[in-house]
Amino acid sequence: MTVPVINWHMLMPELVIVLTFVIVMVFDLFKSIRKSVLAWVTIVGSAIALWASVEMLHAGVIGNEFNGMLRVDRFSMFFNIIFLVSTILVTLISINYLDRNDKRQGEYYVLILLATLGMMLMASGNELIVVFLGLELMSLSLYVLAGYFRSIQVSSEAGMKYLLLGAFASGFFLYGIALIYGGAGTTSIPEIASELEAGGKSPLMLAGMFLLIVGFGFKVALVPFHQWAPDVYEGAPTPIAAFISAGPKAAGFAAFLRIFTGALESLQPEWIVVVVILAALTMTVGNVIATAQSNIKRMLAYSSVAHAGYVLVGLAAANKDGISSAMLYLFIYCVMNIGAFAAVILARTEDGENLRIADYAGLGFRKPLLALFMTIMLLSLAGFPPTAGFVGKFYVFRSAVDAGHTWLVVVAAINTAISAFYYLRVVVTMYMKEPEEELDFHAYPSLLVFALLLVTIGVVLIGVLPSYFLAPAQISTQFF
Amino acid sequence: MLLSAVIFLPLIGAIIIALTRTIVNASAIKGIALAIALLTFIVSLSLYTGFDETTHFMQFKVQNSWIPELGISYQLGIDGISLWLVLLTTFLTPICVLAAWGSIDKGASGFMISLLMLETGMLGVFCALDLFLFFVFWESMLIPMYLLIGVWGGTRRIYATVKFVLYTMAGSALMLVGILYLYFQNDNSFDLLTLYDKAGTLPHQRLLFLAFFVAFAIKVPLFPFHTWLPDAHVEAPTVGSVILAGVLLKMGTYGILRFCIPLFPEGTVAFTPLISTLAVVGIIYGALVAMVQPDLKKLVAYSSVSHLGFVVLGLFALNSQGVQGGIIQMVNHGLSTGALFLLVGMIYERRHTRMIADFGGLAKCMPIFATIFLIVTLSSIGLPGLNGFVGEFMILLGSFISGAFSKVYAVFAATGVILAAVYMLWMFQRVMFGKLDKPENQSLKDLNLREIIVLLPILLFIVWIGVYPKPFLSRIEKSVNHVLKQHTKAMAAIGESQNAVVVDAGLKGERE
Repeated sequence: MTVPVINWHMLMPELVIVLTFVIVMVFDLFKSIRKSVLAWVTIVGSAIALWASVEMLHAGVIGNEFNGMLRVDRFSMFFNIIFLVSTILVTLISINYLDRNDKRQGEYYVLILLATLGMMLMASGNELIVVFLGLELMSLSLYVLAGYFRSIQVSSEAGMKYLLLGAFASGFFLYGIALIYGGAGTTSIPEIASELEAGGKSPLMLAGMFLLIVGFGFKVALVPFHQWAPDVYEGAPTPIAAFISAGPKAAGFAAFLRIFTGALESLQPEWIVVVVILAALTMTVGNVIATAQSNIKRMLAYSSVAHAGYVLVGLAAANKDGISSAMLYLFIYCVMNIGAFAAVILARTEDGENLRIADYAGLGFRKPLLALFMTIMLLSLAGFPPTAGFVGKFYVFRSAVDAGHTWLVVVAAINTAISAFYYLRVVVTMYMKEPEEELDFHAYPSLLVFALLLVTIGVVLIGVLPSYFLAPAQISTQFF
Repeated sequence: MLLSAVIFLPLIGAIIIALTRTIVNASAIKGIALAIALLTFIVSLSLYTGFDETTHFMQFKVQNSWIPELGISYQLGIDGISLWLVLLTTFLTPICVLAAWGSIDKGASGFMISLLMLETGMLGVFCALDLFLFFVFWESMLIPMYLLIGVWGGTRRIYATVKFVLYTMAGSALMLVGILYLYFQNDNSFDLLTLYDKAGTLPHQRLLFLAFFVAFAIKVPLFPFHTWLPDAHVEAPTVGSVILAGVLLKMGTYGILRFCIPLFPEGTVAFTPLISTLAVVGIIYGALVAMVQPDLKKLVAYSSVSHLGFVVLGLFALNSQGVQGGIIQMVNHGLSTGALFLLVGMIYERRHTRMIADFGGLAKCMPIFATIFLIVTLSSIGLPGLNGFVGEFMILLGSFISGAFSKVYAVFAATGVILAAVYMLWMFQRVMFGKLDKPENQSLKDLNLREIIVLLPILLFIVWIGVYPKPFLSRIEKSVNHVLKQHTKAMAAIGESQNAVVVDAGLKGERE
């Protein structure tokens, strides 16, 4: 076997992240360096990687590195952008949060960077084993992060629950890979595709496909594999809950898209049926249960389950538009969901976070800026124009109608109306109810406000001028 | 450009208020809002003067590309159907700002921002010629209205506002699917004007008709979708009720005329008997329920259900008289019911009650109030010489001549006119006449100058439309006739294609 020639410049974003994570780890050893410096290193490193990804997306570079194990193309760059934007935003909202709660910060940022690297590998993995490695790198980092506040019981519980169920899901995923390897004799995505086309569908491949769907279903929290989500979101540190709901979900879908529209394209008629059913179930169950939540983090957890369902509606279309609409939706969803969690972090008093929705009563007049941020995020999540959420949903629905899934869009549209109920309930509480007790809300930490301002501008900008984001999503769907 | 200016001036005003709200005091904020609203009205007057009444084409057109990737354009235009609704909106908003002057003390800036954003949304709905743009405006006007009722409303405001939003969203969810379906039928474009040309060939007409119609029927509201309306009206602040009755409900009837009738002729014809029946039921039911209301505001709210029933009946007469009457009646209802809500609001501010039983003999201590109230009451009943008569007469005439069976609708609907006289005059008698025996009422002050200024412009139009409706009707006529022509043309196209199928089958049969 010869040593492959590697074009290192093709792996710019990944390399920058690796370098950043090494720097953060080394810096952490020095007591004299303030911990917030580590956060800024993380942000700068991610920003450079983000810039590289944007440049590579525009240039349209294509490469197969490490003997074709990694595929660098617009698709992976688009997802890199989603991951890196999420990482930057989450780091921004973490700084004040950690200062208040905990002193150990070095490994926190290291783990976030490692998880980001794992996601990037998932998006560009051209090999089932590489995808699995990325998935594990991401998941293991997240298990630790979810249980990061060891001394707090709910946090430990969240970490434990996430670990157990996540390991279970990884097992399914690995078993699926094994079966597909058994059927096709290879784990390379393009080769599986050609094997399938030549050899036809075997029961082994179908079984492998279903197991992969189950594995993915756990990772991105589709109904009926979603039960871990609310507990983990509730217990995990809030910035980590935001992170879990954003990047990893996008990474799961990235790998799903690569594998299912790449390797298993010939099985499309089979998996589309499953995706359509899962989409309808996920949206409906997620939204209906979310209406009954009184804790805002749990409500956002169920809402994020429901949003995975909307992404599936785009996937069900399974054509070029469907895939690019799902990608755009993931981008928009990540931004606005992190924004919503950031608003939750912002709404805190001396005793800690206020997670009961009832605690927000009267916030609209006492903290107008915070309430405004929160309202815009919630309206975007509910899909009201002129916000990003509306554009995302609209494009997804349009693609699905185009592909002939009209009834699925009817279900999705009704779900949108249901979701408005619980998102608006928070707005009702903030603006229309009198507070039961006077809560002494904190002053605004400037970094959080800055992050929220960025997100708000983004959400409105995408809502009013979506072309700048739509066009990249549309050209990023060609991957073979 | 002119239309864009009219639509977005209020939004700019809202932004100005949002930016300056911390540095200026409440009355300055109200002043800015009033100035912006008046400016918008003055600018919109040039729509009236520049309007060409000899054509049915869309005027003041604006066309820019917006999201070309998805075939979405920023396309605006008005014709005779939308002209009066646009003017009604710009006319009522400054009145509303002025009416809210004394009554809104909590969060005046938020109130004015919501009101101005609402105006932008409503104007956009009436001017949009791109289905996507229409939907954006249609949905975006929900949030300000939601806040107006929910923050500044009465005791059960949260229930009322959530009900209002959920009803509307449930309706518009299906409309969105319908819009997407039409988009693909229209060669991946949301352009309404090109869609009109394809109206006769659209498949699934009845389903599409329903997808749009239910959204509009909830908004109108047509019986039996009306239950959100009394709640919303009763809980809304006065200004909210005025906007709701004056403009928001018209978005439903406007949508029917702009989309349902010209785009889905087959669906329209198929559902006309059902809808006309529901409209007549709404007329009589609304009137009967209004009659027994002890609460003034609720009485006016139910009278809205009855009046809007007339509008829908007129539209589905599908002839020139009925449809024109429907449009005039939309404007009339906006003026009369808007004025009624303002009057009820004024007496509520003085007495903090709206119960008819708490009043009596007010004419003695508030003569100006009583006089204006009487004129508006008579206008609402449809007294000849005032605006209500013109609309109702044309609707009944249109309905009477539109077909053999529709005479029955006209007959039953006419009882609504009588019932209206019963509940309105009875209410007037109980509130204004009789003995001024309650001590709280004896010291009530008559209307002040601000309140008279609020009401006078409305009175002017009530008399003007009643005495000389020609300038109004002449601008409507061409556009209405065009819509009806579109409708019959599309019907003919459907007939031909069905005949062609029959002929095809016949030829096949001959060959065999």
